[in-house]
Amino acid sequence: MIDLINLTKDFKTTLAINNLTLRVRAGEIYGFIGPNGAGKTTTIRMMGGIIEPTSGSIIIGGIDMKKNPVAAKKIIGFVPDRPFLYEKLTGMEFLKFISDLYEVESSGMARRAQELLTRFGLWDWAHEIIEAYSHGMKQRLIIAAALMHEPKVLVIDEPMVGLDPAAVRMVKDILKDLAAQNVTVFVSTHTLSIAEDLCDTIGVIHKGTLLAQGTLAELNSAAQTGQARLEEVFLTLVQEM
Amino acid sequence: MRNDLLTLLRPRLLSVFKSLKPSKTGKSWAKVFIFSFIGLLFWSGSFFIFFRVLTYFQSVEDFGNILALKLLSMMMIIFFALLIFSSIINSLSQLYLSHDLPLLHSLPVSSKDIYLSRWFSGTLDSSWMVVAFSLPVFLSYGMIYSVGIGFYLVAFAAIIILCLIASSLSSAVVMAGTIILPAGKIRTLFVILGVALAILLVVVLRMIRPEQLVNPETFASVVIYMNSLQALDEPWLPTTWLTDAVGSALNGKWKHSFFNLALAASLSFTLIYINQILAGAFYFRGFSRAQTTAKRLFQPLNFRGRSWEGLLSFLSRPARAFAVKEIRTFFRDSTQWPQLFLISALIIIYLYNFSVLPLDKSPVGTIYMQNVFSFLNMGLAAFVLSAIAARFVYPAVSIEGEAFWIIKAAPVSVKTFLWIKFFIYYIPLLILSEILIVASNILLGVTPFIMVLSIVTIFFLVPSIVALALGMGAIYPDFKSENPAMAVTSFGGLLFMLLSFGLIALVIILEARPVYQLFMADLHGRNLSVIQIYHTIFSFSAAFLLCAASVYIPLRLAEKKLRRL
Repeated sequence: MIDLINLTKDFKTTLAINNLTLRVRAGEIYGFIGPNGAGKTTTIRMMGGIIEPTSGSIIIGGIDMKKNPVAAKKIIGFVPDRPFLYEKLTGMEFLKFISDLYEVESSGMARRAQELLTRFGLWDWAHEIIEAYSHGMKQRLIIAAALMHEPKVLVIDEPMVGLDPAAVRMVKDILKDLAAQNVTVFVSTHTLSIAEDLCDTIGVIHKGTLLAQGTLAELNSAAQTGQARLEEVFLTLVQEM
Repeated sequence: MRNDLLTLLRPRLLSVFKSLKPSKTGKSWAKVFIFSFIGLLFWSGSFFIFFRVLTYFQSVEDFGNILALKLLSMMMIIFFALLIFSSIINSLSQLYLSHDLPLLHSLPVSSKDIYLSRWFSGTLDSSWMVVAFSLPVFLSYGMIYSVGIGFYLVAFAAIIILCLIASSLSSAVVMAGTIILPAGKIRTLFVILGVALAILLVVVLRMIRPEQLVNPETFASVVIYMNSLQALDEPWLPTTWLTDAVGSALNGKWKHSFFNLALAASLSFTLIYINQILAGAFYFRGFSRAQTTAKRLFQPLNFRGRSWEGLLSFLSRPARAFAVKEIRTFFRDSTQWPQLFLISALIIIYLYNFSVLPLDKSPVGTIYMQNVFSFLNMGLAAFVLSAIAARFVYPAVSIEGEAFWIIKAAPVSVKTFLWIKFFIYYIPLLILSEILIVASNILLGVTPFIMVLSIVTIFFLVPSIVALALGMGAIYPDFKSENPAMAVTSFGGLLFMLLSFGLIALVIILEARPVYQLFMADLHGRNLSVIQIYHTIFSFSAAFLLCAASVYIPLRLAEKKLRRL
């Protein structure tokens, strides 16, 4: 469902991503982990169509992001690492705005917005302007907005930042439910326990290069760490580089 | 305390020094060049105008000196009004709304020190331009009266004291406002300010009646004329003391000059001292209240009921989504409203001036003058439109702010996004400009030909100016700005103003000759020659192509730039 082929992003002063190639199957949860400045957010922003790669291709559901960005974006739900929103709109108005952009069927729009806002614990705040929301509430609203158009692929950057424990549990359950419904989830995180608990496949990136990818057992094998937890595997892989 | 103050000011000073350092790219030099060029143009323009006016006053027997002093008094009042307004805006932003304030208040420094450091940088921000543009005024006085260095020192001290008084008064008013108004409503102050300024502007202009001062014949007697010259010179106003200080220095009465200067200086120091005490007691309370979320002045429209979506249902869904978002954001952001009041005041004054033009007193034929004014009016209306576009259209892309990722991630191309934005601003500005041009033409009583020409020219100029503003705003976006209204004073904003003025001037120049030929032919009841017909066709086609290119090129460049971001 997701194919990144020889993806490179050169910011002139920094080579952020160097020849990255990876594939994510439909219905899979792919965890993207790496130290600060490894290139996770850059990769995710390229996948969301926020920035252009210097070279290489991004294929989402068989659609080339470079050749047909509008069609590719239609099947992606994108959640950035920081919840910047239109502060003067209410939560409900924001979902309506997103629905119009993604041309979600009008008849079911209000019902789906209510359903998502309720699921994310925001229904009581639906008609308050976003300016009044806390960081965690904004984060939950962004995830709700990304699900409005029932995407086939969910690209999500640091989903748990700013969320309380109950919301973390809720988001984890939602991501698992989505994968069960054959939605592909590409998630970057610093929280290794979450990656370990949630993801089918984990990719470790460092200095713009994919060091290893696979299940925890496959990563252990690559790092020669036996039956170690993800934290140890990660640190071993990163230190070797 | 002194160390704390310096520490608090250091980030600001470092940012200023770093911004002054030349970068390796040529871009910063281009910026410096354009800013300096525009600044120098305005500076020398002001000097030239004041020098000419004062030279003329000197030629008026008996009244020359009185008129010059009256003009000085007017300038002091105008400077003071401008300083008060910009200081209030700056105080609100620097002391209560700036994004770095929560960090500052978490540091182990007293709120009084934070207040003083922010007041100081706010005073610099709100005053430097007035100080810079007061210099040509004083320079022209100095040159006309052939005075020595003493006068310039007094004049410089006077303007600095005026800045300190205005800034202290403004921050005291803002501090009082944050205590009186309920928490979260601080932004409402902007609205009150906008209205107050618009009214103040009209009242001051009408009180001063500058057009009558050089025309004693309009007064019933010399006594009334002299009285009118004394209007506004209230002895309790600091502007009167400072006018007296500068005026006395001009005439070599140093004792009187220093006395008035000392009077004003003592007021400014007293105000700063009182403000410092007040800040210790009240500033943090006001800041704390400003941190709570602003209560909405308008409740959102019912989701299921009649709404903007219903009114704009004829648009495509993405276009409607953007239009509705733009309208809601605008009306819920009370910082935007004063701009509307200002523009209304600008338009009223603009139309009022046309209604009082003494065309009947012109030695040239009335019909000819009416049409000349009307032709020039097209340019003036387009300049007004440029100013409005600079304020509202130029920041249209930057206003997306950090939420711009939503646009980039949405299944809408950058091109579509730009065209939707274009039409959101184009339609209301077209209606406004056409109303402006038709109303002013009716006041001028022009011929149907000039009326049609004005309507058509404005019809083609509006999309060009809107596209130019939108395009330049996208080429030089500032998604991190705390105040998009200030975007127009940036490099891109000034470049837009220059290009827009250039475009308007070119279109007017291209149309001038054929319009003159057509008008004269019509007046004398004769036909145009073949060369004149070709010339007319060529000029109008060139003006049209210029307008079309001004729509296409900026939007195309903007699209490229936004796609690369």
